[in-house]
Amino acid sequence: MILRQISRLRGAFMIAGWSGLGLVGLIVALGDFLARFPAGHLHAGPALAPPSALYPFGTDLLGRDVWSETVHALGVTAANGAAAAVLTLVLGGALGFVAMRLGAAPRLFLRWLMGVLAAAPALLLAIVLIGLSARGYAGVAAGLAAAPLAFVRAFDRARSQSRSRRSEYARATGISAATLIRRDLVYEFRGVFLSTAARALAAVAIVYSTVSFLGFGAEPPRRDLGLMIAAAEASYLGAWWTAAFPALFLIALILFARLAAGLDEGERA
Amino acid sequence: MSGVLVEIRDLALTRPGADRPGLERFSLSLQRAEIVTLLGEADSGKDLLLRYLDGSERCDGALGSVRFGEGEVLPAGRRTGLPFRAAYLPPARPLPLSPRASAASQLSRIVARKLECPRGAAREDLRAALARIEGAPPFDQFRRPAESLSDAALSFGLLAAALAIAPELVLCDHFFDGLSPASAAALCSALRAERARLGFAILYAASGPQAVARLGGRAIVLRQGRIVEEGDAEHLMSGQTHAYTRSLFGALPQPLSPAPQRPTPRGEPLLQVYGLLLQSGGRKAPKAPSRHALNFELRRGASLALLGEEGSGRRALMRAVLGLERRPGRIVFDAVDIGLLSETMMLRLRRRVAIVTGADDALDPRMSLFDTVDEPLRAHLRLSEDLAAGYRETALKRVGLHAYDGRAPVSSLSPFDRRRLQIARAIVAAPLLVVVDEPLRGLDAIAQTTIRDLLAEFRVEQQAAFLVITSDFAIAQVLADEAMVFSEGKLAERGQIRSLLSAPKTEATRALIAAAARRPLSPAAAPV
Repeated sequence: MILRQISRLRGAFMIAGWSGLGLVGLIVALGDFLARFPAGHLHAGPALAPPSALYPFGTDLLGRDVWSETVHALGVTAANGAAAAVLTLVLGGALGFVAMRLGAAPRLFLRWLMGVLAAAPALLLAIVLIGLSARGYAGVAAGLAAAPLAFVRAFDRARSQSRSRRSEYARATGISAATLIRRDLVYEFRGVFLSTAARALAAVAIVYSTVSFLGFGAEPPRRDLGLMIAAAEASYLGAWWTAAFPALFLIALILFARLAAGLDEGERA
Repeated sequence: MSGVLVEIRDLALTRPGADRPGLERFSLSLQRAEIVTLLGEADSGKDLLLRYLDGSERCDGALGSVRFGEGEVLPAGRRTGLPFRAAYLPPARPLPLSPRASAASQLSRIVARKLECPRGAAREDLRAALARIEGAPPFDQFRRPAESLSDAALSFGLLAAALAIAPELVLCDHFFDGLSPASAAALCSALRAERARLGFAILYAASGPQAVARLGGRAIVLRQGRIVEEGDAEHLMSGQTHAYTRSLFGALPQPLSPAPQRPTPRGEPLLQVYGLLLQSGGRKAPKAPSRHALNFELRRGASLALLGEEGSGRRALMRAVLGLERRPGRIVFDAVDIGLLSETMMLRLRRRVAIVTGADDALDPRMSLFDTVDEPLRAHLRLSEDLAAGYRETALKRVGLHAYDGRAPVSSLSPFDRRRLQIARAIVAAPLLVVVDEPLRGLDAIAQTTIRDLLAEFRVEQQAAFLVITSDFAIAQVLADEAMVFSEGKLAERGQIRSLLSAPKTEATRALIAAAARRPLSPAAAPV
């Protein structure tokens, strides 16, 4: 009975999560209409003005409208997060299913390599990858950093499938590994695609924003939510709105993604 | 010990969410120490009644009345639980215990909960019950994870747990289903012996008449929630009044009398096995020839039964023949020595093999009905969509699944439909060899008849060779011409099935015949 109720709640969570992500998408799409000022517009108002009817989220140290800046930053974070999530899905999820059906040597090597990479915190991995490439690739780095854990999950899922009776039945009637990969991609991956995508989005949004917060992400004047929070460091104690609103938007983005994944345990960030 | 144990009057039960009652106007007077078998198909209401009595099924708005022993008559909707000890015996598959935990500890926990006693005491009760049951495995074997036990061993464990609580009523839910005739016969003897000792009543839900024949007592035939016939088991075995009852009893396999000899297929050899060792660990053949080495051949269109109990070596032989396990010896399939083939080439060769198995998880539950049938056509022959659709339609028509929604996932199909789907998949693959592995396991009587007939037709029309793995001589008799009897990993005896039936030479063969012959086999089934 309790399990059934939890399962029903999970469905409601997922609907709420996807609705929230839809709302985020709408805000990003209508960003230019919703924001009163273009991104990085200085002296839109007095410095550190508190929230008011004219400036609903107040202004920051340089007189930028925090509402307009937050809407633009949400667009940057969401776009990078979505691109990184796609990378995680392809290099992690899909490759995990394919790798399981490869020959013994490449299969074991890939599982070992990804297992080692998955053991490292994704944040540190992302910083290392940015160091090896360039600062503008923070989104790609976040996607690559979250991929090993997604790979391991997909690989282990495919391995449990391959040990099942249906796999043996297929092998005994001459069904090739390529057909079994197709089965996994069409049925298994399709079945969990949405929840995996949402989980990946939550994971990479955390990694990407933290990387930006630490100064390795978006380059000014282009700002994302992580960088906005970092820039508010000097004024936060006296003007809470400069960091609180971007942080709330970031929390909402991650929470919606987690809910959309059915509150499944996320890839470790 | 006499008197009424359970008195049910005009009971009507409806499952939550169902639009019609699963059981209607059902009346039963179950005496102490009586055996009653409820016989019917899946939706006949027998399972619902068992679960209602067990208290595991919530039936809102139950109508009618129920009385236990000498107690007062209660409205059926107000019943809270049985006022005496009752045991519930499920079938061994699907696994009724947690697969990875020790079976002994789980069974002890069940006994402890029923007896409301410490776990240690329950364990001793379970041990004593196991020791009492003839043919039961030793207690130590149950220390292993439940999933590692054979179906027969697990059934003995479940029976011991039920008997350890000294019940007054045993509710058997298809308890013998999926077991070999020998195991079912052993368990039945144990159940009857303990009943004579403890004096409990048995209410057995069965989908086939075999249980009626084994247990005796009284039988109630149910169809779509209503009683269609009722009577003494012996009386019902000898003649049935209702057409539905006749169809259920007609599903029994043909008698184990030597059938007329069929012409031996004269085709080229399809499968040749030389010096195969089933018990050897390594892949290399021993230097000296072993007396346990297997040598046989299977001609195109012929059928060979591999008979034996679980663990007797039949599946090991099947796996070796299909190249899934390498063993010492030489196997030639379709004029190709499979020992010389790489895994990729072996995979190609296995395209000419189809399997029909009694395991319901053999098909991918995520795939649709159409995709399941199409897959061999697309993967092996790379046929276009239109061409594949034509073959698929023909195959689905032959097995009676053509009216189903082709996009429905396999997981939504009943075990009977899944079995038919396996046959449709086998038909489109146009195999040279069909491996049939316990094809009737877990099916109700009418479904068994249909599957048996479909397989027999398939064999005649497709002219494929059949390798039939079974523990039931009656099935072997219908589907095969020759048989090899296995025991303890070795070949015990081989020959034409009619010769084995008329003059069995080994104890293993005699035991298999005796187990199958316990059924009151009807003289109807025609040989292929």
